[in-house]
Formats: sequence, structure tokens, C-alpha cells
Amino acid sequence: MKGLLKSMGVTLSAFARKPVTRQYPEMHRALPERDRAFPILLWDHEIDEPFCTGCHACERACPVECMTVLMKDNPNHKSQGGESSRRKIIDKFWIDYGRCMRCNICVEVCNFDAIAMNNTWQGHEQSVYDRSDLVQELPQLLAEHRSGELKPWVAP
Amino acid sequence: MNIDLFGIDMNVWADAFIRVNIIVLMMTVVVMGLIYLERKVIARFQMRLGPTRTGPLGLLQSVADALKLVAKEDVRPRNADPWVFELAPYFVFVPIFLMFVAIPFAVDWEVRILDLGLFYVLAVSSVNIVGWVMAGWASDNRYAMLGALRSAAQSISYELPLVLSLIAVAMVANSLNLTEIVAGQGRIPNIILQPLPFVIFYIAMLAELNRTPFDMPVGESEMVGGPYVEYSGIRWSFFFLAEYASLFIMALLASAVFLGGWAWPLGEDWGRGWQFVLTAVKAGAIIFSVFWVRSTFPRLRIDQLMTFSWKALLPLAFVQIMVNGAILVYEPEKEVAQTLLGVTSAFGVFFLAWIINRSVTRPRPRPVVAARGEAVS
Repeated sequence: MKGLLKSMGVTLSAFARKPVTRQYPEMHRALPERDRAFPILLWDHEIDEPFCTGCHACERACPVECMTVLMKDNPNHKSQGGESSRRKIIDKFWIDYGRCMRCNICVEVCNFDAIAMNNTWQGHEQSVYDRSDLVQELPQLLAEHRSGELKPWVAP
Repeated sequence: MNIDLFGIDMNVWADAFIRVNIIVLMMTVVVMGLIYLERKVIARFQMRLGPTRTGPLGLLQSVADALKLVAKEDVRPRNADPWVFELAPYFVFVPIFLMFVAIPFAVDWEVRILDLGLFYVLAVSSVNIVGWVMAGWASDNRYAMLGALRSAAQSISYELPLVLSLIAVAMVANSLNLTEIVAGQGRIPNIILQPLPFVIFYIAMLAELNRTPFDMPVGESEMVGGPYVEYSGIRWSFFFLAEYASLFIMALLASAVFLGGWAWPLGEDWGRGWQFVLTAVKAGAIIFSVFWVRSTFPRLRIDQLMTFSWKALLPLAFVQIMVNGAILVYEPEKEVAQTLLGVTSAFGVFFLAWIINRSVTRPRPRPVVAARGEAVS
């Protein structure tokens, strides 16, 4: 009998407590500072072009082969009258987010620090109606860092 | 022949039609509100939010559910008995609504003042067992049949303590007319004079309503829904409607018979609005406690259920009736008689608590029976 009354008390105290539910699509919890979503490309704000030179290092290192890279001569190079010291620059870049397993290897092998893992909520909310829509193209990959939404990287 | 309907002179048949319509409309709204409230309250007991998406605070959730149920196909299994299968929901549903005829909400606010109101309510309330058994039998489904038989066994077993506890109160109130019972509680509500019948009534009410912890007939985890396994759409919603309507009416009955309905503690001079509020608050408290019990206790076994009814509740109800009779016949002083009633009944509550305590803390070991039926030591 004491146990029965005690259990009633337990449920009543649960009733008085605040619900633990978070209204997810409207309310986002703060992400951990080293959160890792999908890889994106970084933008060189000083010269106003991507860091990426299209060297294929990440493409070759990718264990699931989700990347495709095409390189071109940089029209903004100093020899062409521009201001950039990059002789080659990225032409086209596709990452299939459906295949990517977020292993961080592409970030580690990059010689130019041109690729990074997205650490914002937008990086996680990638649901689409068709698998082919998960393949990201160059402007989409660059947009996040170019607009300044990416949070600074934190050392472990 | 004309009759007085809330101050308007009205033909008898038109009057009856209007009153029935008021009941049906009010019940549908109340049931939708109850479903919403139950989901919200149970959610809070589990530290969730409950429905929030449909309308402000999820208030339209029940409306959306009702629309969905009405729009769904009304499926009947091929082997089902067509007539019995399709009539069963009405047999569950109509008696519940008939019970409303005698329930007093405020002074002169009931469908009809019946001199045998309590008797009528109890008589009508037991009819819906027929509907459950019809549903279970006609579905041609083992789970439905098992659920219907459990429902019948349970409802009939708990009908007796329910009726006897109300008889004990009727002896004290000296009337079977619900309006008079309520009016007689202006000073002391019956729960003070008769706590034991209230406890018995409450437990038996939970069983009659097939609510947790007595919900074996519809136990989702073992009976996949009991008698209404095969029902869908509007017919299934009739069962649901009947379940919540009976919860509401049992709460109203308890608040009228035990908690003093509109009469206690304000009396008749405060006007009708406050009487409605009083009745609603009392019924609401009982409904909340039913939700609370539901979110706390696990389901009992069927043998525990039957044992509790026949060996604990029923004898105690009989003892209460005999004690009441002795006190009311041999004690002419009203004050002394009331004190005696309250004290003996409170003692009965402690005795019942002791019985429950004993069965909870020292469950009788059941002999392990081997395949050949011999007891294994």
C-alpha cells in the first residue's frame, strides 16, 4: 500500500516537472563546437576566389569515392594580369552527400586548407525528395563559408 | 400536452427531442475535449508535451481525429455476423447516453428528475456489456472473443460492488432520487459519512470503464484491442465515444452521489453558474485522478482482478450495508448516527487498505503445475 501511494507520488512529481520535449524544427539546440556535418569548400575572402586548386588529393583519398573534381587554369592569375598566386583553380566540384560518410579524411589530406567539415545546423538538415538532389555542386559547396555562416574551427 | 423547458412552454415531444439533441451534441464535444485532455495530461505525466501541432496548443487534434475516423472505410470481415457486428457499437453507445437522463448538473438542470434515478442509471449502465459481447462474438476473431468474455466477466463482477456501494449511500441519503441525494448533501457530503463506499465505487468504476489497472479486456499489449479488433472507422469511434462518455458520466455520478454535486459547499443560493462550476470541478477532479491512476499502475492479472472483487470489495460492501442498516434503525439521534456512520466507514477504508497492503506485500505463492497437472514442490 505504501508502495502504491509512493508510486502515485512519483507520477505526480513527474506531472509537475517541465516537459523535456524540444520542438525540434523550430528550436535548435546549440551544436557542440567540434560538430562535424558534411564537407564544404572554403572561400578565400582576401582574393575573392576559392582556396581549392583542384589538385584531386581529396578525390583520391576519399574512401567512398563521393567526390569528383575538375581543374582549370586560373583566369585571375598574376600572369594573366590578375592578383591571385594560384596558377590552377577549381573548375567543377561535386560531392555526393548520399555517399559521404563524414570521415574527415578529405580535410586532413588537403594541402591548401580548402575543404572543411560543416559545423552548422544547415549542414545537418539536408533532407531532399530525390537522391540525386544530394549531389552538391560548386556554388552550393562554397556558399556556406562565402556568406560567413561557418563557425571558426576549434582545435581538439 | 405541454411541458416546461427551461422556462419556455413546449410540446412534450419537441421538448424530448431538444433535450436529447442537447445531450448528444454536448457529449460529442465533451468526449473530444476529454480525449484531448487525456492525451495532454498523460503526456505531462510522462514529461512530454502531448498534441501541439493541430490548432493552437493542439486543441483541434480531436476534431482532426474525428474527421479522419468518419472518413475511413467501414470494414467488415467476411466471416463476421453482419447484423450483430454492425449493431454492437450501438448497444455499447446508447446505454451510456441513456444514463445522462437522470444526472443532475445544477438545480432543475437535468433531462428528467426520476424518483428512481440511481436505480435507473445502474440498470441502464449494465446493458452495454451486451454490446461488448456482441462485438466480440460477431467479429469471428479469437482475440475479440477473449476480450469480450473478459469484459463481460469483469463488468459483471464489478457491477455488484458498484451497486452495493451506491445502495449504502442511498440508505444514508434515504432516497434513490439523484436530485434529492445531491440536495441532501448541502452541509456534509456523503464522502465524509461513507468513505468506504466511495473507495469501493471508485475502484469498481475503474473496472467498469475498462481503465488501467483493470484494462485486461482491451489490453493493447496482449489482446490487441480486445472486442474492437475488427472494427474500423465510424464504428470503432462509437466504441471510443462510449468509453469516454461513460468516463464522464461516472465522474458526474460520483461527484453527485459522493462529493455533493452542486449542493456542497456553496448551497443553493449562489446561482446556477456556480453550481455548474462546482459540478464540473468535482467531476474534473475525478477524471484527473483516473488519468493519474492510469499513468501510474501496471495492468493486473485476471485472477487478481476477480479475487479482489469477490473476496475484498463485495464482502466489505455488504458489511457496510449491514452496519448502515443497524446504525440507521437503532440510532434515532441524527448527529450521533452520522458520526457513527463516518467512523465505521473510515475504519472500513483502513481495513480495505490493510487487505490491499497484505496482498501486495505478501502475494500468496501459487503452486507450480507441471505438464501432467501435478504440483511441483
